[in-house]
Amino acid sequence: MDELEKYVEDKATQFIVVNLGIEHYGIDIKYIDNIVKVPAIRRVPNIEDYFKGVINLRGEVIPVMDLRLRFTMEELDYTGKTRIIIVKLDPQAAIGLIVDEVEQVMDIYDSQIEKVSAEKKEETNGYITTVGKTDRGLVSILNLAAVIGEKEQVF
Amino acid sequence: MDTSQYLGIFLDESREHIQALSDQMMILEQEPENQDAISEIFRAAHSLKGMAGTMGYKRLQHLTHVTEDCFSDIRSGSMAVTSELMDVLFQALDAIEGYINNIQESTDEGDDDNENIVNEINRIRNAATGKGDAPAAKAEDKPKDEEGDAPAEAGDDKALYRNMKLDESAVDVMSDAIDGGKHVYGFTVYIQESCLLKAARAFLVIKALEDMGEVIATDPSSQDIEDEKFDFSFSLFTICDNDIETAKAAIMSVSEIEDAVGEEFTSETIRTVGGASDEAKTEEAEETDDTEAVEKTAPAVKTETAPAAKAETSPAAKEAGNKPQAKKPVISKTIRVDIDKLDTLMNLVSELIIAKNTIVSAADGGESSSQTLNEQVEYLESVTTNLHEAVMKVRMVPIESAVNKFPRMVRDLEKKLDKKMQLTITGEETELDRTVVDEIGDPLMHLIRNSADHGLEHPDERAAKGKPEMGTIFLNAYQDGNSVIIEVGDDGKGIDVEAVRAKIVERGLASEDTAAQFTDKEVIDYLFDPGFSMAKKVTDISGRGVGLDVVKSNIESLGGDVSVKTKLGEGSTWIIRLPLTLAIIQALMVIIGEEKYAIPLDSIQTIENVASGDLKLVQGKEVIQLRGTVIPIVRMSNILGVESTHNDAEDMIVVIVKKGDSLAGLVVDELMGQQEVVIKSLGKYINTDRVISGATILGDGEVALIIDANALI
Repeated sequence: MDELEKYVEDKATQFIVVNLGIEHYGIDIKYIDNIVKVPAIRRVPNIEDYFKGVINLRGEVIPVMDLRLRFTMEELDYTGKTRIIIVKLDPQAAIGLIVDEVEQVMDIYDSQIEKVSAEKKEETNGYITTVGKTDRGLVSILNLAAVIGEKEQVF
Repeated sequence: MDTSQYLGIFLDESREHIQALSDQMMILEQEPENQDAISEIFRAAHSLKGMAGTMGYKRLQHLTHVTEDCFSDIRSGSMAVTSELMDVLFQALDAIEGYINNIQESTDEGDDDNENIVNEINRIRNAATGKGDAPAAKAEDKPKDEEGDAPAEAGDDKALYRNMKLDESAVDVMSDAIDGGKHVYGFTVYIQESCLLKAARAFLVIKALEDMGEVIATDPSSQDIEDEKFDFSFSLFTICDNDIETAKAAIMSVSEIEDAVGEEFTSETIRTVGGASDEAKTEEAEETDDTEAVEKTAPAVKTETAPAAKAETSPAAKEAGNKPQAKKPVISKTIRVDIDKLDTLMNLVSELIIAKNTIVSAADGGESSSQTLNEQVEYLESVTTNLHEAVMKVRMVPIESAVNKFPRMVRDLEKKLDKKMQLTITGEETELDRTVVDEIGDPLMHLIRNSADHGLEHPDERAAKGKPEMGTIFLNAYQDGNSVIIEVGDDGKGIDVEAVRAKIVERGLASEDTAAQFTDKEVIDYLFDPGFSMAKKVTDISGRGVGLDVVKSNIESLGGDVSVKTKLGEGSTWIIRLPLTLAIIQALMVIIGEEKYAIPLDSIQTIENVASGDLKLVQGKEVIQLRGTVIPIVRMSNILGVESTHNDAEDMIVVIVKKGDSLAGLVVDELMGQQEVVIKSLGKYINTDRVISGATILGDGEVALIIDANALI
């Protein structure tokens, strides 16, 4: 009965859980357009460091960002497990996020999601605002708008 | 009745009618006696009223009704065209447009009754005509007269052609023909009431008569006949070589024709038809107006297609037919295509081109490049080229839709600024990509306002300078190679370069010494800076300093550029250069470092081999001297942050690019050749320094970046 009530009351959201090193990050599946292996990346001169350049995905030119660099983590060489998550916040503009590996698809219930502390938010530049506490450990849920969205204007 | 499905059509057509009203009202204001303009206005107002009624927009209907009554009075001559009247009518037009805008946004016309405008119109009408509200019925009956229903109701007399109104030139043509030994017959043809395709039968009748001679005039007009705007009879006059029985037999040979009555006319009797001679005088006066009206509405008239001219093939007949033709609604024939569909088509073509490039590179590389493959490639190439052209043509629209609101705007500015000015527009038929045309209106409006406000002097000032009091603002559009040039300018006072220079110093943008060294061009470029305004006082027309920089950025976002030519005391001209097409360009592929880049062919002047020894240093910058011109050198490898693969012992490859009159030499490592590339955006997330304007996908799937040479000069 408890279990049933949980299903009725507690809404689950599907996340793709990706790993950067030992950390787990969740990306809401509704924003994900595609997951691809790393193709040839064309460098674009004079852009922010965390952008690796652009790729050709079936005739579309899509910018790709290395999430490790975005989170000021150490850069790693790409392996067979490295994937690009193609994300579309805006239907007209796709962007690729490079991650170490894709772990699984996971249902996370609203009841499992907690807001992070203000300090933590600050620390991550607002990239992480909520955390899912799951059976398999903590999953930091990416605030995609902050990660890829309106960049800090540099003047 | 659910009318929502017609809303789109209603809106489109309303806008066409409003534009027609605006254009014709401008003509009417200039030529108050122009009957064609009045008729045209009347027709547009009437259609608008009818459509509004059908769609259930009561306020819109009421306002158009009042306006229509007013035009009815003007047409009947009981009211004169005055400036005051036109002002309020233009206000009414704006209000009508307001309703249409409301409807577009919310499908509701809004609840503004615009009573002040209605009252004002009524007041002017009462004052002018000295009577109360004109009976509405009268106004509504009018257009019917024109459609030729009235003669049909004239009674039992079947020879309705006797009542036809012939214009002078038609009568002349016919009496000349009679003098020349030909026969002139008038006919009234009755079609069986069971007939379903009246227009087709009428057309066959006219065609049968055309085989024997010329049909000079029809009632209703040939266009109305074609549109089936007649009951079951129509009348015509024809010049014929054969006798009347043969002509009549020819008419009766067309099926579903019930009867045809006719008689032969002599050069005397022809002049009595429909009391033609009484009207000869006014007709003549109108004739001159006609030609002007036709000229002014030339683009629209031009698009009238062959069917309209079917009945009038010979030059003489055309002359005679001019009258009814000019009375037809001068609305250009349009096809409305969903822009999404076009975009899809465009994307498909893009992919096709990519596919073609794939085959091209396969054919180049493999040993198995057999003849068949080559043929296939050639075929694919011709198909894609044609497809590309076809699609681009669909996307191309005349800039007319962007500029046709300007005459009205200048008229308003004239009143507001108390200056005398006229706007001349040429080349409104010049075509540009639809997206460009949609975007170009605002920048052009800014420039015209600028010319009106800052450029043109007040009449007394102009007179003192020995210029005509009437200032001229012009807008010329024309195609120049792969670009379209739009020039906007005036014959006003021009830009005072020294005043701008002083302003630069005053605003602390440069020191006095530096400013003194600026060339005139550099000084004028400051006008495009955000927030830089020369106006001494801010008006609601211009002077806030948010004009020219917006103009510049708008135009640059369309891939174009803007420059200005000015002469103090004689006026200035703003020159806008826009690319003809946006998405697909010819480019020179080059290699810099180990990376492939595309340079748009448009901006390339020449490609030169330069020995390292020919490089010179001027003020610490590298330049080359080429045929007497000193050209600054840009080492692309430095700009793009790559290691050049070039060996210093060899000649450098320098691509000379141009922007306006300025040149620059881009040093590249290797040339790959010319290619047609599909421009892809890098997306909104990447901030490039303007050097990279986009990307393209090569035949092997590799991404190459497109260099914006303009940003390097």
